[in-house]
Formats: sequence, C-alpha cells, structure tokens
Amino acid sequence: MTEETTEENEIVRKMKHLIGKNVLESEVPRPRRIFILVNEKVFGKTIRYLTKKMGFTHVSTITGVDVGKEIEVIYHLNRGGKIELSLKVRVAKDKPVLPTITDLIPGATLYEREVHDLLGVSFEGHRDLSPIILPEGWPPDVYPLRKEWTIEKVQKRIIKGGKQ
Amino acid sequence: MMSYRTIRIPFGPQHPFHIEPECFMFEVDGERVVGVKPRIGYVHRGIEKAIEDRTFIQNLYLIERICGICSHAHTTCYTQAIEEILGAEIPPRARFIRTIIAELERIHNHYLWLGLAAHEIGFETFFMYSWRDREIVMDLLELVSGNRVHYAMNTIGGVRRDIIPEMVKKIRKGLDALEERMKYYKKIAMTEPTISKRMTGIGILKPKDALALCAVGPTLRASGIKRDVRADDPYIAYDEIPFNVITYDGCDVMSRLFVRCDETLESVNIIRYAINHLPTGMIRVRVPRRVPEGETVSRVEAPRGELIHYVKTNGTTKPERYKVRSPTLGNIPSLCKMLVGGYIADIPIVVAGIDPCFSCTDRQAFVNVSNGKKWIWSGEELRRYAVKWYPKE
Repeated sequence: MTEETTEENEIVRKMKHLIGKNVLESEVPRPRRIFILVNEKVFGKTIRYLTKKMGFTHVSTITGVDVGKEIEVIYHLNRGGKIELSLKVRVAKDKPVLPTITDLIPGATLYEREVHDLLGVSFEGHRDLSPIILPEGWPPDVYPLRKEWTIEKVQKRIIKGGKQ
Repeated sequence: MMSYRTIRIPFGPQHPFHIEPECFMFEVDGERVVGVKPRIGYVHRGIEKAIEDRTFIQNLYLIERICGICSHAHTTCYTQAIEEILGAEIPPRARFIRTIIAELERIHNHYLWLGLAAHEIGFETFFMYSWRDREIVMDLLELVSGNRVHYAMNTIGGVRRDIIPEMVKKIRKGLDALEERMKYYKKIAMTEPTISKRMTGIGILKPKDALALCAVGPTLRASGIKRDVRADDPYIAYDEIPFNVITYDGCDVMSRLFVRCDETLESVNIIRYAINHLPTGMIRVRVPRRVPEGETVSRVEAPRGELIHYVKTNGTTKPERYKVRSPTLGNIPSLCKMLVGGYIADIPIVVAGIDPCFSCTDRQAFVNVSNGKKWIWSGEELRRYAVKWYPKE
C-alpha cells in the first residue's frame, strides 16, 4: 500500500472546512477509501455538498448497522468509479428518521427501502417505503438486522403470530 | 385520459424465463408499458443475519452460496475484505490464480447470458450452440477447481488449489476454442437480421439516466460510460495485467450483447497474459482465526457489474455486521426505466438484457382490471406470443 492518498486527504480537508466540528470521525485507511462520520444535524447539507459540488453522484449501496442505542446509516458514495466514500450518520434507535437522498440520487430508492425494511430507519420525503425485501404481513415492529432481534427471537415471534 | 384503459399485469413472482422469483407490476396501455413497480425479496434468505452468527471460515462457504454463477466474485470480495482487516498480504501466485478463475467465471457467465438472450427472442439454434460451447469453460473450471459451479477456490489468505503445468496446456486449448466461437457469435449477431430486429433500439437507457439511476456493469458500459471496478479500483492482479474496458454507445439490448461479446474476448486475453506471467511461489499464507476490530468496503467487478461488500469486525471470530449488495439490485431502477415506453413483447429480452440474478418458475398471470378476468400464461406461452407478435409490426 504505497500508493498516494493525497486526493482522499484533500476531500476530508474540504469536508472539515465545510462543516467543521461536525465531522466526528474521519479515516483514509487506504487509497480510494474514505470513512467519515458526521453529525446528524448537518447530514442534509453534507450530502448535498458531496453530490452537487464534489461529484459523488453514484451511490453503491446504503448499509445500516446497529451500534447499540443508535443506528448507523452508511452511504457508500462513489466518484467516477474510483473513490469510495462511506458517509456515516447516526440516528437514535427509538426514532430513526433521516431525509431521503432520492431527490439528489434517484438510484438510491431501493437501498433506502432495504434499510427501512431491515432496520426500521424512516426516510423523510421518500415516495414509497413499502416492503421490498420482507414479506407482506411481516410484523411492523420486527427489524431483523437490529441486534435485539436474534434469529431465535424472530422465529418465535413469527410462528407465535399465527403466520405459519 | 388513458387511465381507464390501462391494465395491471403482475410479471412474476414466478418468472417466465429465469428460475428465480421476482415480481414486476406492469401498468400497460394496449401493447405499451406505461409503468413498472418492482418487488423483490422472494428469495431473501437472511444471509446477512446468518453471517453474523458464523465464524469467518464458515462464512466462506455461506458467501460462496449467495450466487451460483458469481460465486467466485462473492468470495473474492469477502476474502480480500477480511485480508485487508487482518493486514495479510496474499502471495502473488494466489492473486493471479484468483484472477484466472474470475475471468473464467466471466466467460462462463457471458456465454450463459448469450444463450438465454437468444432463447428470449426465439433463436433456439443460437441458444443450443452457445450453451454447448459453455461446456468448454465449465470443463476448464472443473479441471482447475474440481467443481463446475461453486469453485471453492478462495480461502482467507490465498487459494486452495494450484494451477499445474498439465492444466495450462488444456486451458490454452480451451481458450482458443472459446475465442474462436465468441468471434463467430459476434459475427452472427452483427449480420443476422432476426437478432438485430429484436435487439436494436430496444430497452433504451440513456447515459444520463444510467448515471442517475446508478446502473452498474455491462448495462452501464452499453450506455457508453467507461466504468469498471477492475480498471478504476484495481484488486487482485488487475493492476498488473493490461486490458481494455469495453463500451458501446447504442444504449440498447444490442449494445449490451456486444459489450458482453467483447468482454469475453478481453477475458480470454487476460487469462492468457496471467498464465504467461504466473508468478512462482506459495498459493496461500496462514492467517489467524480471530480478526481484529475494524471495518472495510470491498469492491469487485462481478460478471454482472459492481459488487460491493461492507464488513465490520469486533475482534472476535465472527463478524459484527456484513452487508452485501449484488449488481442486479443496482440495475433494477435502470431496468424499470428501460421497460417504460416499450412493448409487452419486449419485456423478456429487456429484463434478460441486464442479466438479472433472481430466481423464477414458468408462470405469469394476466388480470384485466376492468372486468376482473384472469388468465395464466406460462413463460413459454409469453415467449411464443412475443415471437408471433413481432412479424405483425
């Protein structure tokens, strides 16, 4: 790993310039990879800046991670097929709401629905958050990728619910 | 207003031409498709959750089974992610062997697709021939890995089997045959009017839409966008092997066919180069079973497009979170765009055009909303309908 990471560090620097202390964590582990955790308050501003000004117009996918009391949503954004920037934002587990990015990147529509299905994060402004992965009639409070829902617990709940 | 005339047609979950379930709700006005709503998840097996419950070695086998065709792409993506967190450098010979298998897999996928595409347009001879020749590459994969489908070549720290000189001779012979046949198929596709009539100008995806809808792989490259993970974000041995990224700018199914034909020829050259420059030495290194805390994003150009895995580890023998996004999901929004404005008869070839990877059985229901009349068509019937309908135009 002797390749240069100048461009990546420059992006991180620009981000810090834009939102200052709201960049909570940043890391460039290797060429073409950036991880940035930003404050929830500035998420809308950050994603607009990245798509409109920095050329991160491709969203590879959106990942949701259960990190205890919060859910970390990671937007894997890409510029020109090369640099993969993972923009992370944390939302409270009891009321996880984020603004949609489908107005900026229409290709994100299925990824947002997937995170909505499996981790219960709601995306404000998304036109249709109906189930895309989970079956019809799935209990509305069961989010399979949250840590409190172990495989056994999900099975117990589904069978108990009389669906089987 | 046309709304009183539109009819909703559920296309799937049992699918007419692939063996995997997936539903598209079509809104049609006469023969024209005016709206599409996709619904997936019929084969959601909870693999991401299951991965969290298994050790890194067990996961190797689970991840191999995410997909039957792109099994090597998934394990490559997985192993390189774990190796990155471990800080393990795999031997050069292992990187080259991974590349050879990856390209053989691409050739296999593109031959398979060519046959399926020909089948969708009712060109059965083409289908039979390309699937006959697909056997050549399957034999090569079996020769090297011992398996025709799940090659099980990758392991964390390298590969499990070596390529020995006796194999090389057979691989070269096989590659010559595959190259010659693919050149012939490309010639047929260029000159045969039945193919041109069914594919040219069908399933249009403009470059602007392809980028906005985040299309990936051959679908994106057939819209003239030069993007390929192998070239843009090199992994395994791709930074040491010269190759061209194929693009066509027809934006239709025909271009998608040409992209795959040329990519196959390019893959043949990549394998030849890799065999000629195969480094000597070990094929794997030993790695610890416990993976330190960390996270990474791993990308691979699977035969169908960009494949991305995200992994977060917590210092134990099992991952904290594992996320997989396969290329087909990335192409579904673009597929919906291609279908709107087209004819019902073009649905099979346009859907096949992105080389989708979801399962399906042979059935489809038509519902006339105005009188509630329902009828069922098998995939075969729909295909026949499409083949019969076309000469009328």
